[in-house]
Amino acid sequence: MSATAEAPKQRSHKRALLIFGGVWLGGIVALYLIFGSGGRNNAYQPQNEFKLDNWVHLGVFSINKAVLYLFLAATATCVTMIYVANRMQARPNKVQTAVEALYQLMRDNITGGNLDEKMAKRWFPFIGTLFLFIMFSNLVGYIPLPTNTEHEITVFGLQIPSFSLYAATANLSIPLVLALVVFISYTFEGVRAKGPIGYLKGLVPGGVTGGMAVFIFFLEVLSNGMRLMSLSIRLFANILAGHLIILFMAGALAVILGVSALAWFTIPFGILLFAFEVGLVAALQAFIFATLTAIYLGGAVAEDH
Amino acid sequence: MHIALVMFLAVAEETAKAGKSIGLGVGGGLGAVGAGVGIGIIFGKAIEAITRQPEMRDEITQLQWLGFALTEACFFYGLVAGLLAAFIV
Repeated sequence: MSATAEAPKQRSHKRALLIFGGVWLGGIVALYLIFGSGGRNNAYQPQNEFKLDNWVHLGVFSINKAVLYLFLAATATCVTMIYVANRMQARPNKVQTAVEALYQLMRDNITGGNLDEKMAKRWFPFIGTLFLFIMFSNLVGYIPLPTNTEHEITVFGLQIPSFSLYAATANLSIPLVLALVVFISYTFEGVRAKGPIGYLKGLVPGGVTGGMAVFIFFLEVLSNGMRLMSLSIRLFANILAGHLIILFMAGALAVILGVSALAWFTIPFGILLFAFEVGLVAALQAFIFATLTAIYLGGAVAEDH
Repeated sequence: MHIALVMFLAVAEETAKAGKSIGLGVGGGLGAVGAGVGIGIIFGKAIEAITRQPEMRDEITQLQWLGFALTEACFFYGLVAGLLAAFIV
């Protein structure tokens, strides 16, 4: 019974797939035959998509694209969380369920799994905020917004906004600031727990003495500095590479090489990569940042490491 | 003499361009190889661990994503170095 019901469904799936593949391949051939190759285009510079132009000039505090995205992410975080917190219901709707799942992840896995009870209670707000802010900042970056001032599109003399994808975290400065805040807070927490000299002594594992201890001490100091780099570069490079690959797949490659058929060829990959970035990478990078923060905080106060 | 100098400069410029391309290729390509092997090992081991102890699934999955992201980051270090070599240096 089920086998007979299954068969036509499978066949129609197969047919849809074949039609999609046929249209896709046929489109590539047709577009190539019609438009051919226009030669290399040297005028278009893809790195300009990530250039920051000042919109409001205020010296060091000038407002540019990254600042706008920071404000957007901060607003989105605050509004969503306050809205959900004020309207807690016994029978949650979808948004509340999602936020509750996030809360549980932050409380049980990120802080609860890596810190002892007292530390988890003290640092949960900080780590939770970091997690939510980075996640919202990444996700806002995947909404096409009319923030592109580099390329202006005019139709019949009327300027229409050109959309672009940009994320505040795709700029090294913002992850670096977040990583600095983390660095300062775990150093501060370690010094508070053990005292300045105790903290420096605690960098060397117990049982190591003499020249080896000095060597390991410098190694540990160096690795503390490397944490700053790895935390910030991991987040920045992931988001930047995601944006770059979506940009290239969504048409930049075709524009640079001057082959329009290439855009038709790469668009399905662009959509797949977009889904991958939105569904996995955005939340995963926030999760990693928050988890590593919790691990560093736990390591700074641990008696023996 | 003059023509020789111009030719030499042209060759030097082409060589610098080639070097930049090689930098980008090595940074992106070899980085992808290493990270690909690492990610394969992580997911393989996670599947192995979950089939051995299905009740530990949640904890293993969390560690698996942590390992995945840390390994994936190594690919991006290579890529960033390659991009630096190609466009900025």
